[in-house]
Amino acid sequence: MAKVTVDGIELEVPNGSTILQAAELAGKEIPRFCYHERLSIAGNCRMCLVEVEKIPKPVASCAQPISEGMVIKTDSDMVRKSRRSVMEFLLINHPLDCPICDQGGECYLQDEAVGYGSDHTRYHENKRAVNEKDFGPLVKTVMTRCIHCTRCIRFLSEVAGVPELGATSRGEEMEVGTYVQRALSSELSANIIDLCPVGALTSKPYAFTARTWELRKTDSIDVLDAVGCSIRIDAKGPDVLRILPRINDAVNEEWLGDKSRFALDGLKRRRLDRPWVRQNGRLVEASWEQAFAAIAQRMHNVAGERIGAIAGNLCDAESMIALKDLMASLGSGNLDCRQDEAALDSTRRAFYLFNTTIEGIEEADACLFIGVDPRREAPVLNARIRKRWLAGKFPVGIIGPSLDITYDATHLGDGPSAITALQNGDHEFAGALEAAAKPMIILGQGALARPDGAAILAAVWALGAKYGVMNADWNGFNLLHVAASRVGALDMGFLPASGAKNLAGMMQGGVDILWLLGADEFDMSRITADQFVIYQGHHGDAGAARADVILPGAAYTEKNGTYVNTEGRAQWGARAVMPPGQAREDWRIIRAFSELIGHALPYDDLPAVRARLAAANPIFGEIGQVRRLAGIDLTGPTGEGAFDAAPFRPAVSNYYQTDPISRASPTMAKCVAAHASPLASAAE
Amino acid sequence: MMTLERPLTKNIKPNTPPMGLHAYQAAGGYEAVRQTLGRVAPADLVEMVIQSGLGGRGGGGFSAGRKWQLMPDPKADPGPRYLVINADEMEPGTFKDRLLLEGDPHQMIEGIILSAYAIQADISYIFVRGEYGTAITRLESAIGAARDAGLLGRNILGSSYDLEIHVHGGAGRYICGEETALLNSLEGRRAVPRAKPPFPQISGLWGRPTVVNNVETICNIPHIVLRGVDWYKSLGLDGESGTKIYGVSGRVKSPGTFELPMGTTLNDLIEHAGGMREGYQLRAVLPGGASTAFLLDDQLDIPLSFAGVAKAGSRLGTGTAIILDDRTCPVGMLHNLQHFFAQESCGWCAPCRDGLPWVERILAKIESGQGEMSDLALLDDIAGTLGPGRTFCALAPGAMASLVSGLTYFRAEFEQHIHTKSCGWT
Ligand SMILES: Cc1cc2nc3c(=O)[nH]c(=O)nc-3n(C[C@H](O)[C@H](O)[C@H](O)COP(=O)(O)O)c2cc1C
Ligand code: SF4
Ligand code: SF4
Ligand code: FES
Repeated sequence: MAKVTVDGIELEVPNGSTILQAAELAGKEIPRFCYHERLSIAGNCRMCLVEVEKIPKPVASCAQPISEGMVIKTDSDMVRKSRRSVMEFLLINHPLDCPICDQGGECYLQDEAVGYGSDHTRYHENKRAVNEKDFGPLVKTVMTRCIHCTRCIRFLSEVAGVPELGATSRGEEMEVGTYVQRALSSELSANIIDLCPVGALTSKPYAFTARTWELRKTDSIDVLDAVGCSIRIDAKGPDVLRILPRINDAVNEEWLGDKSRFALDGLKRRRLDRPWVRQNGRLVEASWEQAFAAIAQRMHNVAGERIGAIAGNLCDAESMIALKDLMASLGSGNLDCRQDEAALDSTRRAFYLFNTTIEGIEEADACLFIGVDPRREAPVLNARIRKRWLAGKFPVGIIGPSLDITYDATHLGDGPSAITALQNGDHEFAGALEAAAKPMIILGQGALARPDGAAILAAVWALGAKYGVMNADWNGFNLLHVAASRVGALDMGFLPASGAKNLAGMMQGGVDILWLLGADEFDMSRITADQFVIYQGHHGDAGAARADVILPGAAYTEKNGTYVNTEGRAQWGARAVMPPGQAREDWRIIRAFSELIGHALPYDDLPAVRARLAAANPIFGEIGQVRRLAGIDLTGPTGEGAFDAAPFRPAVSNYYQTDPISRASPTMAKCVAAHASPLASAAE
Repeated sequence: MMTLERPLTKNIKPNTPPMGLHAYQAAGGYEAVRQTLGRVAPADLVEMVIQSGLGGRGGGGFSAGRKWQLMPDPKADPGPRYLVINADEMEPGTFKDRLLLEGDPHQMIEGIILSAYAIQADISYIFVRGEYGTAITRLESAIGAARDAGLLGRNILGSSYDLEIHVHGGAGRYICGEETALLNSLEGRRAVPRAKPPFPQISGLWGRPTVVNNVETICNIPHIVLRGVDWYKSLGLDGESGTKIYGVSGRVKSPGTFELPMGTTLNDLIEHAGGMREGYQLRAVLPGGASTAFLLDDQLDIPLSFAGVAKAGSRLGTGTAIILDDRTCPVGMLHNLQHFFAQESCGWCAPCRDGLPWVERILAKIESGQGEMSDLALLDDIAGTLGPGRTFCALAPGAMASLVSGLTYFRAEFEQHIHTKSCGWT
């Protein structure tokens, strides 16, 4: 700690802090454009200049480390004059077109201009104009507004690891761009919209939709992958207009993947907004009563074991527990949440969680990926691994296809034989694992959703045991999930009861009645014509097309729901808008049906369902928390059998379209068109 | 009168190709290398250079030896270490390094070998201004000859010391002369300066310990080593060490470069250049290139040393004087200089990027007779906001040095342009 004085306030600050950080600790806000706490220091806007006693020149507070006894003035005449002059320079070439700028109302330049700008200009020469750029379907540019802070350049090269932006020309002619015109290809590209302090980079899909003060803002959780990023949903009337990341250092820092941000136009398309019932082979509109009656009638006299339920990837825990309880009341234990039929072992949480936790990644000192494409399955989590990699001394190995994951990695092999080789110590990467004190293994769903999945799971655990991946103060064994619902479903046991049927068992006539709760990601042709299918969900996707009865449910933006992320962290998503038309919150639909058939579920408000969840597993009551487990119990999952020689295929090949919402999104379709899927092009 | 010693230029004859390896060695060349490699401890060499009082000739005058001393111990931080020679020389009015590179490339190489040995660098880059094609070819052929003679490469002269020298041609950016922008450019990045700290000695080229020195600085080293600190100190006047390659441009009888004792007065320097041409009077001088403040005709007796010029309110800079005569429009000259700086601003920081072109446009307006009195106050004001600390590097403050002094000294000419709505000079 060092003692410094900021505007007369004496305080102790950690050694190595910058003057700007010290000033913040003293409660002094220092204006800044280029500085961002998650990016490297640029020091180029000069807005943060302060006066320091005994230093004759003004000092850039964002870049200057404090030293013992420093006396800092953040509000002297000189400082104020200096800020005014920087504002004047920045506004010289700025078009001052706030009334037609989407950043209006949330523009840092506008805010600072109020404090340090002048009401008239002393600049009477021509302003610079910059040619427009095309950064692809997501980021709209008005580069004449650019103040060259380089935040966007630094984000893409440092955090995203896809250095596609740079500066060309010098002096006043300097421009920020892609050099050769092309769409940005990072899955995290749209974060530069948030980072841009002015209106140079704005949201293309959201362009001219609304002003920030017209929006209703709801804090929630993203469900388009299993990371559980914190988001804010901005809505106006019945429409979700914008989704932005919220700061959550434990999960997403302040980043969000492009899909999670921009698939929202899919929330308005292909929606199921009323019940449907199949009559004479055709789906016809129905009332809730008619739909429920059709199901009740079909269920009449059907034994519990002939009924089954499958939960999809976007389901909230409330609706899954309600469906599970309904099935139990009907005498059915035929449940499955693994649409991909991944060989997951739910007997211990350590077998299916990302045990290291996302924050824990920063402590790790080696990483091995098996059958996973972290960049496309979980871009925000991948940015955390990249951050760790950037810090140095972090060997990375990959078993599976050799993909560009935005940092260097050693490719050990395409399939299971590389696991065997590593287990036998037959690869140089064995040395890296051995040398590491906190090694991580990240196992993807792609490696488990195959016939030898159980054997792979057991073998990877054994590999971890051999290399000290699980020990008394470190658990480096990790599953990376892609479905937001999956861990919650495993935690509540949305799995076949003992002796009951799993997904495969329910196919090909294995049950007479199949209740699909938002399940769209398996091959519907495995359901035979005589099986009766209830599809409960929000989009007219694969499941609805096969359904005999459709119950219109709510998308994640339209309901209060609990989701447990890949680390095992339970979080609450919140309703930002009402479901469209006659669609309803999902657990309430199931509750209503249970009452109709005389098996009324014992809860009928949200606190009561949540109490039921917590009773099923206390983790549902520990919102926002994660229990970090030590890895001392080395007994592994029980998976046997031989490996299949086939190479691993990661669970996600097309990042932009992974679920009914993103598949319905025109913006996501444009992204697909702008970037051919890397796997598809590799195969060509 | 004692004949002046000119160690740096003694081998250089105007309009003649430089000495080859044999002639250079016959004239005592590479003797310093033979006496030093494997015989003198690097730290002792550093100490010797500190004692010599040699100040950096790139413009700052910072002690070369002290700069070297900041290199970390190679045992504590093993890996590549670099010596980078700054031969970008794009400062307007400056052409001294060109003389040394074209005139005596072996002297440059010998200086590099000794300096790299002192800081225990194993790789050296010479970053040469792109337009200096002749210098590049001559350096490359001299490097080839030196390598063939075992003076470069592995195990030089059996001393177990290894050194490679690479010549890199710049692409024509003034900012590449700023040492950290130069390092970015060498790495293939955009030429913008880096934040200091970390200083290059700690994290320089590719993040490794690096010293950046000017051509002339390093050319002094063989002579200091061979003839000793006392001799070197005796070369300067007024308590200064060594010689300096001064330059003079403007309306003098024989403009050019002159190796003279450090601390020579401006008067004497102008005399060496033959005095003013017939019909021209000296009005003011930029003593050390375009980034220094004007001195007036009553300041010509000051010694041209780093301390001497600083005392007079300007900077020695590169030691190449630009003379303003009485028949040249000072507003036009300042406009011309600011045009250069505005064009060469790298664009990294806001005040320089947006401020210098503004300055240039105001000057253009005044020069063409369209200025107003309020423009002068505006110029004063902007110049104050582009001073040291306001911008990321020293380019903009350097640009303001001539402007601020010019606005003071030539106020009458500025006002005349504004009142008469025209430029009186032709
Ligand atoms: C804009 C700018 C341009 C510069 N150009 C040169 C140059 O062309 N040559 C040079 O030696 N130093 C130049 N310098 C100074 C270098 O940054 C650096 O201080 C010098 O190379 C150090 O060498 P020395 O210690 O031997 O003087 C420049 C500095 C600035 C700010
Ligand atoms: S586009 Fe925005 S973020 Fe990028 S440099 Fe310009 S102002 Fe900064
Ligand atoms: S002062 Fe000028 S040259 Fe130096 S960093 Fe700033 S913009 Fe670049
Ligand atoms: S915030 Fe410090 S220079 Fe931009």
